[in-house]
Amino acid sequence: MVDATTRFFEDLDRRGFEPLLAKTSGTLRFDLHEGAQTTHWLLEIDRGRVQVSRQDREADAVVGTSPGLFEELAAGREHGLASLLRGDMTVMGDARLVVQAERLFPGRPAARGPRRLFQREVR
Amino acid sequence: MAQSNTIRILDGNTFVVSEDTGDIEATPSEPTGLFSLDTRFLSRWVLTVNRERLNALSFDDLQYHEARFFLVPGMATHYVDAKLSIIRQRSVGGSFREQLTILNHDEKAVDLEIRMDVASDFADLFQVKDEILNKKGEIYSEVEPDRLRLGYRRGNFKRETVISSSKPARYDSDGFAYTVHLEPNEQWNADIDVETSAVGPGGRDLRMGLRSHGTERLALQHDLEEWIAKAPKVNSEHGRLASTYRRSLIDLAALRFSPLSLGGQTLPAAGLPWFMTMFGRDSILTCLQVLPFAPDLSKTTLRILASLQGTRFDDFRDEDPGRILHEMRYGETAAFEEQPHSPYYGSVDATPLFVVLLDEYERWSGDAALVRELERECRAALKWIDDYADLMGNGYVWYERRNTDTGLENQCWKDSWDSISYRDGRLPGFPRATCEVQGYAYDAKMRAARLAREFWDDPAYGDQLEREAADLKERFNRDWWVADGEYYALALDAEGRQVDTLSSNIGHLLWSGIVDDERAAKVAAHLVGPRLFSGWGVRTLAEGEARYNPIGYHNGTIWPFDNSFIAWGLRRYGFGEEAATIANGILDAATYFNGRLPEAFGGYPRDLTKFPVEYPTACSPQAWSTGTPLLLIRTMLGLEPHEGHLAVDPRLPIGMGRIEVLDIPGRWGRVDAFARGRLDLNKLAD
Repeated sequence: MVDATTRFFEDLDRRGFEPLLAKTSGTLRFDLHEGAQTTHWLLEIDRGRVQVSRQDREADAVVGTSPGLFEELAAGREHGLASLLRGDMTVMGDARLVVQAERLFPGRPAARGPRRLFQREVR
Repeated sequence: MAQSNTIRILDGNTFVVSEDTGDIEATPSEPTGLFSLDTRFLSRWVLTVNRERLNALSFDDLQYHEARFFLVPGMATHYVDAKLSIIRQRSVGGSFREQLTILNHDEKAVDLEIRMDVASDFADLFQVKDEILNKKGEIYSEVEPDRLRLGYRRGNFKRETVISSSKPARYDSDGFAYTVHLEPNEQWNADIDVETSAVGPGGRDLRMGLRSHGTERLALQHDLEEWIAKAPKVNSEHGRLASTYRRSLIDLAALRFSPLSLGGQTLPAAGLPWFMTMFGRDSILTCLQVLPFAPDLSKTTLRILASLQGTRFDDFRDEDPGRILHEMRYGETAAFEEQPHSPYYGSVDATPLFVVLLDEYERWSGDAALVRELERECRAALKWIDDYADLMGNGYVWYERRNTDTGLENQCWKDSWDSISYRDGRLPGFPRATCEVQGYAYDAKMRAARLAREFWDDPAYGDQLEREAADLKERFNRDWWVADGEYYALALDAEGRQVDTLSSNIGHLLWSGIVDDERAAKVAAHLVGPRLFSGWGVRTLAEGEARYNPIGYHNGTIWPFDNSFIAWGLRRYGFGEEAATIANGILDAATYFNGRLPEAFGGYPRDLTKFPVEYPTACSPQAWSTGTPLLLIRTMLGLEPHEGHLAVDPRLPIGMGRIEVLDIPGRWGRVDAFARGRLDLNKLAD
């Protein structure tokens, strides 16, 4: 089974266009550090068009975190902005890119959402 | 919290609250300190000379970002003999800086031991009113030869206060000291710098050098002058309106706040100092109030709120796709998810109001590009109204928090626990739907219909929105009209029953346009009638309701911001005199507060108290109270964008004299508006 991290990036790459990033352009690199090893994921965003690669290239913003935390984020079990405030995730460069990309993480798997008391057809 | 003897200075969300001596000794009842990023970085900052505390002769609030304290040693009883003067001049702007000046007036030389006691509890803003007993992390201090470092560490969460001085000092873990010899008439100075930092494991500060404006004192001063120069000028025959306007303009400058994620653009924060952060509702309503005077705030507010619009379901944060945020916080409790403000979305009105602001902003500015830029977010907001806010499936906007632990019970502007009650005082169950929010939803759809046709090239969507709005208006007028009182119910409960109290909320309905024309006169009569109108303004809850209390937070006090929207609504339906009555009362009240309207004041009848009784609140200035005089000026002058130009249709009370507003910016360039008081408001009361 593929991990949530890989699935998150591969899905993003497959979609090609992400409406939530339609106003965003720039490069954003995720560095997932574990011991001496670092895994890189690079997002090249051009007004919503997203390309994902594993390059270790200079980027407008670089996010650093552990593979463990990223896995939780990609699965919706942890929250990106809270992780940033906590210092469990760090940012170098243009924070706006990170705040925009954070919105791509899914919600909590157990989230109930608004509960409609009387059902009607959803339009 | 805002005791009159506390002194506050700030820049963005860095601020200092101290005693009138400049000292800080934080307690739960006196939450003084140096704060930044919703964290207290200094909880103790006490100056002594030869082990003696100092006494305040006077202080100057020079600007919102700087203050000066004149002190002498010893207690009040014997300071007349003082042979020493101590001046503390401080400012915030990036860091907190304090300049100490000591003057020896004696004919002999003196030897002084000057000491500052320093400590920090690193309390989260949410905890400053509590006894802080068990912080989960570790507080530390590191004494270095040229600085004192105080810190707090909890996992990777690290906040530090670093204190250094221009003059060599002796640092210890509880402060720093100087030994000074002063000849007669000699003076001594030291510049103390207090840096706050929020450092991650990579050593990068969370704030990454972002500031709302320049961080230097002179840059701040220059920024304020530019801000005032850019705004329209208001001249009035009676000086009070012009001075209230100027006070508001300066306070508005102080309230500008730059979120971390927006590269230095500013939006109005909710209130000083405890609410120096993004609030969806407060920021939007303030932008609406000040549009004719400071339109740029709307643009940045819309962009920021759009960039943080909800995208997923999160029950802890009450987040849904398309929902506009309620409040963002940066402190420890948000970071560790002990509070949901990262950001919290539990507001039911910010989402429709977001659409309303975008349309109103375009009508003034002609900024079609922004309307196109935010099309997706607008559609998502409108979809939220239909799909996620309609909890009962009957076409109204409802709220019920999913975060039952730390979420907000009442998600409308009257957000205290007992603000929504039946006539007999009982509280309804959940979900609840309050009336003004249905008005906002109606207005959002009507305005979005225009945007869809004119800018999004989607007339079919425009037609659909207008049909939905018309349908909502029809149902609303059927379901919410309280027949025996001839007004609209405050809310509906989950069983569809009317929460039948008479409240100020009906004034917002006029502003939104959801009121049937033939009912508007009844609503207007209630608003200036004796149960709601005190002589100063419209009470949040009418006299005679079971929970009415002239000093009940949302149950009888008068909120200036509320009144400004009510006045706007009255003008929308052609009740110029009623609008002028309210404007006149609120602006009269403002003079009792030196032009700075409080969040709320008592609902006592004007002829009983003769002056407005301030409700004790945490924040002053409050953004939407600050915006109130500006919206009232707009309302009295009848300023309205109309087919590319600015229409002026004044309705001023006689006592108001002549008013001129010069250089009103908009799609027309800059134009002036003039008005003269002609309405005899006494006639109205007859």
